[in-house]
Amino acid sequence: MIEGRKILGSVGLGILAVFVIVAVLAPYIAPYNPHQMSRPMEHPSSRHLLGTNDIGNDILSEIIYGTRVSLFIAFVVSAISMLVGTSLGLIAGYFDKLGFVIMRVVDIFLTIPRLPLIIVIAASMRPSIWNLIAIFLIFGWTMTARIIRSEVLTLRSRYYIDATKMIGGSDCYILWRHILPNVIPLVVVQFIMEAIHVIFTEAGLSFLGLGDPVARSWGMVLHYAFECPIIYVSDVWMWWMLPPGLCIVLTVLGLTFVGYALEETLDPKLKSPAYGRGL
Amino acid sequence: MHQINKLVYYFAILLIILSINFFLPRVMPGDPLSYLSDPGADMPARMTEEKRELLLEYYGLDKPISEQYISYMVGIIHGDLGWSIYYGAPVLEVILGRLKWTLLLVGTSTAIHVPLGILLGATSAWARGKKKDTGLLISILSISSFPSFFLGILLVIFFGIKLDLFPINGAQTAFATYSSPFGKIFDILHHLVLPATTLVISHIGGTYLLMRNSMLGVLGEDYIMTARAKGLSEQYILHRHALMNALLPIVTMTAMTVGFLIMGTIFVETVFAYPGIGNLLYNAVLYRDYPLLQGIFLFMTIAIVGANFIADTIYVRLDPRVKNE
Repeated sequence: MIEGRKILGSVGLGILAVFVIVAVLAPYIAPYNPHQMSRPMEHPSSRHLLGTNDIGNDILSEIIYGTRVSLFIAFVVSAISMLVGTSLGLIAGYFDKLGFVIMRVVDIFLTIPRLPLIIVIAASMRPSIWNLIAIFLIFGWTMTARIIRSEVLTLRSRYYIDATKMIGGSDCYILWRHILPNVIPLVVVQFIMEAIHVIFTEAGLSFLGLGDPVARSWGMVLHYAFECPIIYVSDVWMWWMLPPGLCIVLTVLGLTFVGYALEETLDPKLKSPAYGRGL
Repeated sequence: MHQINKLVYYFAILLIILSINFFLPRVMPGDPLSYLSDPGADMPARMTEEKRELLLEYYGLDKPISEQYISYMVGIIHGDLGWSIYYGAPVLEVILGRLKWTLLLVGTSTAIHVPLGILLGATSAWARGKKKDTGLLISILSISSFPSFFLGILLVIFFGIKLDLFPINGAQTAFATYSSPFGKIFDILHHLVLPATTLVISHIGGTYLLMRNSMLGVLGEDYIMTARAKGLSEQYILHRHALMNALLPIVTMTAMTVGFLIMGTIFVETVFAYPGIGNLLYNAVLYRDYPLLQGIFLFMTIAIVGANFIADTIYVRLDPRVKNE
């Protein structure tokens, strides 16, 4: 089982590495500028490997640039969420009174269903990458704060913490030197969970037409394909819908495998139902 | 005491949700009416000057905010969710007209989803570490990586268009006349197959993983070892000792699952043009019909939170240990 886990983890890392490289090198890999127009609805050919869409953009280039958008949003949201969530979790776990207040706020955030609220807010703002990031951040930190807090609660009752206190270690010192390093593995797993969640939600919002119409993510490419009335009539879906959809699937799969490998390796007791996502 | 606390808590959540719904259009840039008829939106609702005046008065936007808040709350209690611009009808009426299809879809999916998830999860845990377990785990993690709308599209293409087995949109054949009531039922079920399958497949991962984890936890308990030591048959231990106890967390999960499925209908009903509330939400987004959008938000949110509240209440009765914690 340990070996299997390692293999899964490596496969996941490999998939993610490919997408990250594509995202970083997008201007060098993409054959066209994704906004450049040529003849619309062209079938795949040597000039356009995946054909062109209804306004004549090269679909392959669109997808390559879409990798940037999708991964960028997921990365930024997860990174900031982890920073905020971990800080608040540490504070909430270590200081009782503040912790009580923070946890009540977390409870409320976790009870309100994310998706409908996100849709309503997204629909009332100008669709842009930055607005999407801001909306995802509203909820992104909550689960991490709760998980980190409960871990801190167990950590802080250890003997070595008492010992550090006795020789005069300040609260800040203890949190930074003794507690933070112990919760880092949890933060890494949470980072992956959040990234999966954001990729799914962003794709979903974009599919509903709430994504950035200029910087098109994979979900947005799917949205325009779905809106096209003749999408099912011929085989257009094969090059217009299948590739962006499979990109989403592969990214999530890569993250899931890495997360699963890490989760079981770092802490076999960790029973996170976080794989059950709302999409 | 515990129960009363819960009640207060959920009441507070309800107030917060209602307040979000009230303040959201008011804190957004521009006044709430320009936001109702935003010319920058893909498809603005056209509005004449007179209609604008009428709406201003109708929503009481000339009154102070506290007064607006109170009249909003009173309106909600009376079931007044506002007026849908696109459909030209009261929001509540529009939503209720679509409710039966969403109930049918979510109900059917839950009825298949929960037993299937339990079965797969228990099977997996019982065979822990063996090929069967690993295979199931990887397959289910893999299919969970498909966004529901993408999965729906694939099912439409293969089973709806290539194989032509199932209808790909709507909840029943338009303008059909049925020779018997069974014909109608068959037609409705026929339309239900693909959307329900999509919902079940894309959400099965959560229940499966929870059941697997729960069962693994139970299998490590001392009383399982005792049962084995007593020489009880494996089948008996599985059914009487392990399964029953592992099912406890599933009760809470089922309510959460219903919540997820309700949210899932937004995408699945959109793909299949299934005339439920999820599809209505998509139309509200497409036509920027904000009163309708907010009404659906309120309706869905309250349904999901309500389901969680019921689960919380039932769980305490099933597992008295929770009360002492």
